[in-house]
Amino acid sequence: MALDYQPKIVGFLCNWCSYAGADMAGTSRLTYPPNIRIIRVPCSGRVDATLVTKCFQQGADAVLVAGCHPGECHYSEGNYHARRRFTVLRELLSFLGIEKDRLRLEWVSAAEGKKFSQLVSEFSAEIAHLGPRKDNGKAAGGSL
Amino acid sequence: MNQAIRDKAKELLASGAVSCVIGYDVGSDGINARPFFAYTEEEADGLAFDQTCTHNLVKYLIDRAGKATAIVVKPCDARALTVLINEKQVKREEVFIIGAVCHGIIESTWGQKGSDLQGRCQTCTQHTPLVYDLLVGEPMAEPTPKAPLDHRAATLANMSVAERAAFWAEQFQRCLRCNACRQVCPGCYCAECFVDQLDPEWVGIRIDLPEKWLWNTIRAFHLAGRCVGCDECQRVCPVNIPLGLLNHKLEEEVATLFDFRPGVKADVPAPLETFKKDEKLGIGE
Amino acid sequence: MSQLISRSDLTAWINALLAEYTVIAPTKVDSLALYQPVKRADDIFMDFGITALSPKEWLFPPTETLFTITTQDGTMKLEAPPLDGKNLIFAIRPCDARGFRLLDKVFLAPPADTHYAQRRQNTTLIGLACSKALPQCFCTSVGGAPNDASDVDVLLTEVEEGYLVNIVTEKGQAAVAQAKLIEKDVTPPSPPNLKPVSTEGIVEATLRAYNDDYWERLADRCTHCNVCAFVCPACYCFDVRDHINQGKTERLRCWDSCQAPGFTRVAGGYTPRPTKGARLRQRFGHKLLYYPQQYGDLLCVGCGRCIASCPVNIDIREVMEDLQKLGVKSVSARA
Repeated sequence: MALDYQPKIVGFLCNWCSYAGADMAGTSRLTYPPNIRIIRVPCSGRVDATLVTKCFQQGADAVLVAGCHPGECHYSEGNYHARRRFTVLRELLSFLGIEKDRLRLEWVSAAEGKKFSQLVSEFSAEIAHLGPRKDNGKAAGGSL
Repeated sequence: MNQAIRDKAKELLASGAVSCVIGYDVGSDGINARPFFAYTEEEADGLAFDQTCTHNLVKYLIDRAGKATAIVVKPCDARALTVLINEKQVKREEVFIIGAVCHGIIESTWGQKGSDLQGRCQTCTQHTPLVYDLLVGEPMAEPTPKAPLDHRAATLANMSVAERAAFWAEQFQRCLRCNACRQVCPGCYCAECFVDQLDPEWVGIRIDLPEKWLWNTIRAFHLAGRCVGCDECQRVCPVNIPLGLLNHKLEEEVATLFDFRPGVKADVPAPLETFKKDEKLGIGE
Repeated sequence: MSQLISRSDLTAWINALLAEYTVIAPTKVDSLALYQPVKRADDIFMDFGITALSPKEWLFPPTETLFTITTQDGTMKLEAPPLDGKNLIFAIRPCDARGFRLLDKVFLAPPADTHYAQRRQNTTLIGLACSKALPQCFCTSVGGAPNDASDVDVLLTEVEEGYLVNIVTEKGQAAVAQAKLIEKDVTPPSPPNLKPVSTEGIVEATLRAYNDDYWERLADRCTHCNVCAFVCPACYCFDVRDHINQGKTERLRCWDSCQAPGFTRVAGGYTPRPTKGARLRQRFGHKLLYYPQQYGDLLCVGCGRCIASCPVNIDIREVMEDLQKLGVKSVSARA
């Protein structure tokens, strides 16, 4: 894979933990690749399957959903719902021709700036290694 | 069997226990059944049941909320009805269930008499509905489970990601966005479907591959853990998109991950409505 | 004397046509017959009864861009989409060709619809007469015939020696210029017999039935999908909406159907046709009352696709029969 291939990753970060975690990464001057486009959402449980699927339809190479650790959800149980939802969605997308690895659900707390920076670096490298989507963007209607 | 259905229908209509009996009669080709609504005792004489009664009628109950109705169901339809009752779309006390013992439905197209059983029926494990108020037909031994017959399921599982993507692009390309799959599905009852929403406009009005892809993906996902595999969506598709493959894939996943089979038990929520705090699903760990 | 083309010469002719036209012909896609552009004569699937979809999409596409708007340096630019080249629909059934005649009355009436008119002008229709009738066919009852040549440019009729070639129009003449035709005395086969459906007084009968309960009863089993409208060669309803993406606005025209709950929804959310019965009445009203009142013909070509494709067997022939009986005596049992 050519080195100049830059994957486009959409990140849905929960307002209470992961977005703050990303903020923490910034204030701690930790670097992470600019491949991720961050969208702040109230909760990982708010991330509808349609939002993620729509990202893939529009040509995203990967989607990251990050929320509070299990047991720490601001709304008590949103992240548990997210866990089931994305487990199933990943299987469906894989069956439709989008590798499972392109959709990740991770727990990042407000204190885990370092974890966030590592996560995005790793994920970005992994997707770059995976290369562009195998459906040739056939399902893609636009560009991100 | 026909007589048993008619007799009960007449009795229910005469006593005023129900105002309508939803069942089947013979279609305009004189061969295949079609849905039929009997409101009077006279009309109830038109009711019939045979191996062409492929339609899943339980969706009609949603429009009849508040009106006592009797309905003829096959074992698969009965499961769909349980899903609707669990999801509070249908009130159990408003429905009189005439459960039909089913020997499988014959694969046929309009105007032609078929001979083979439909694929879903060849691997079906239930001849007798799990829920009913009156059972018609002779109960029989339940068969042992078999692997799905559609060879494409296994073929797809062995394909590379790129091949699978190409397969589905080719299938979805034919989609007309006629929404027939949604309209017949007992699980699709949203007052406003995401595909019709204007704000946010998830899908838009284009009838092109990206829209078709998004629609078919989310349609299948919304039925995860809720689809009973009646295959109505696949039957009505005017361009033969194998939608059943998607549903069955999710059915398998849900069975493996959550040990769940939709519509089997009353008062059990669908797996994506609930959660267990300490479960390990191989994601976010 | 008739003009005849042999089977091998037909293949050669189609291959010659491919150099000049985009040839759209019946092909086999999975288990379906569909009109698709072909690359070689061998891709054509001639043994089709009727295709799953009508070829109307090649004149009236499911999605088309009417124009695009872009803004650059403060000025707005309106652009029309590029024109299609020359198309040729090969082996179109006479009923489907008649569908274009019905669409013409709507789209070509002044002011003509530019996009449709351009495509119509650039499209040649090579008809194929039907040698057998399907159970759903009833073209002879609505003004057509299995061997009707009046809506095509050339009509082919299969005979033992090959195909009889009936050149109907100048466009057809141009299309057969490269075909090797032989003069031969061949009697054309007699067309298949179709079971007639009475359409007598159907316009008045539909008007009479306007406020009848019949529609709600019929709608009981209707699922309100758009299958009937989308497979129909004569249905032409559409929705127009603007699609804005990255500063570029596209005005889109896409197929729509009167059966969809959102079809008549207006700003503010009001829907003038809220019930299933009202929507079903609109479908049959348009086919059997409004269109005939405006243009003379019934908006139906008798191809029977809606009958065979309907998930719940709503049969327009039965509806016509029921409507004729309404007012004479009450019909309810079948609805």
